Amino acid sequence: MKTYLQLALVMLGGWGAATPALAQSDSDTKQFTVIGTVPALCAGGTIAGANATFDLGVLVDTSTGFLRTDLAAPAKTITGSFCSIRSTIRVEATPMTAQTFTAVPPSGFSRTVDYTATASGWTTTPARYATEEAIHTDATQSRATAFTGDITVALSQFSTGGGTALRLVSDPSYSGTVTVTLTAAD
Amino acid sequence: MIRVRLLLTAGLLMSTSPAWAQQGDADTAEVAVNGNVAPLCVLGSPSPAAVDLGQMVATSGTRIGRIAVLPNHVVNLPGSFCNFAGSAIDISVSALIASDASTLQPGFARAVNYTASIDNWSSTTTSATSAATKEGGSPTATATGDTQPLPKIADLAATLSNFTVPSDLLLVAGSYQGMVVITLGPAAGGGS
Repeated sequence: MKTYLQLALVMLGGWGAATPALAQSDSDTKQFTVIGTVPALCAGGTIAGANATFDLGVLVDTSTGFLRTDLAAPAKTITGSFCSIRSTIRVEATPMTAQTFTAVPPSGFSRTVDYTATASGWTTTPARYATEEAIHTDATQSRATAFTGDITVALSQFSTGGGTALRLVSDPSYSGTVTVTLTAAD
Repeated sequence: MIRVRLLLTAGLLMSTSPAWAQQGDADTAEVAVNGNVAPLCVLGSPSPAAVDLGQMVATSGTRIGRIAVLPNHVVNLPGSFCNFAGSAIDISVSALIASDASTLQPGFARAVNYTASIDNWSSTTTSATSAATKEGGSPTATATGDTQPLPKIADLAATLSNFTVPSDLLLVAGSYQGMVVITLGPAAGGGS
């Protein structure tokens, strides 16, 4: 009877030891995740070339005093721009105005030059802003994907503020500003 | 009278002797006690259970939008052991891939590669470095370490380092996720 009990204990002990061995094995695997984030981000880049100024030179036809019809300036290229997510590009511009002659111009004269600024390369339809227009429906354009690439800013369609019948007052400096804004559309 | 008593006493002593002899011859048995220990490898639970790299790109300066210098991260697997000779560790590392699955645009990547290494199991460091493409293809790399010739218990430490982006491209925005899988078991061609 005593021997029988001892054997029973050994068997039970054997089963008890065997159970963890069934649950475990001679190899084990553990895993862990690695996570991180990248924020929605836009960078404006830099303007290529010597400076960021469109220099139009003399604005008027010196024989008539009217705005030249052949005004032009090489386009500016903005490099290194990117948005890490879908985005909008907006271009805004202010008319060129006489910087010294700030009074209301006399009859028959104007101290502003309107123009149209476009920013292309970012979207299929370039963003466009005409300074003489009251509503700027094309000034903001959207793209649905992240993007990096050059933005070309060009000026065109120069016109005398107030109408083509006006002449421009003399001034050493007419100045306006073009602003291109990239916005991440998170 | 006294002599008789002594003799009787002696008789008592003699009578006890056969009793001892009889017990010594009576019975002897041996019962074998056998057991075995199964080969086991057990890894401790990873601590921390997940590694959060946080925000991974530079947000200013010349490297804006590109991966920042990220510090190493260590995950501990305390009390990991193999109770047999001839074990080896296996590391599988999967690159962090962006959750955004839209078409990848030129100039961008959606993968962050890194190295996972463990240096305290065998005599040499075991490390695996993912080599996902910019689109996130082939994100997983594996490595098997040298054989540990003895049963061993150790607080394993997995170090994550060397976070890079294919061609150092800009990273698309979004959340990223990767995974490290560590396996401890018999070495190929040896062990239990």
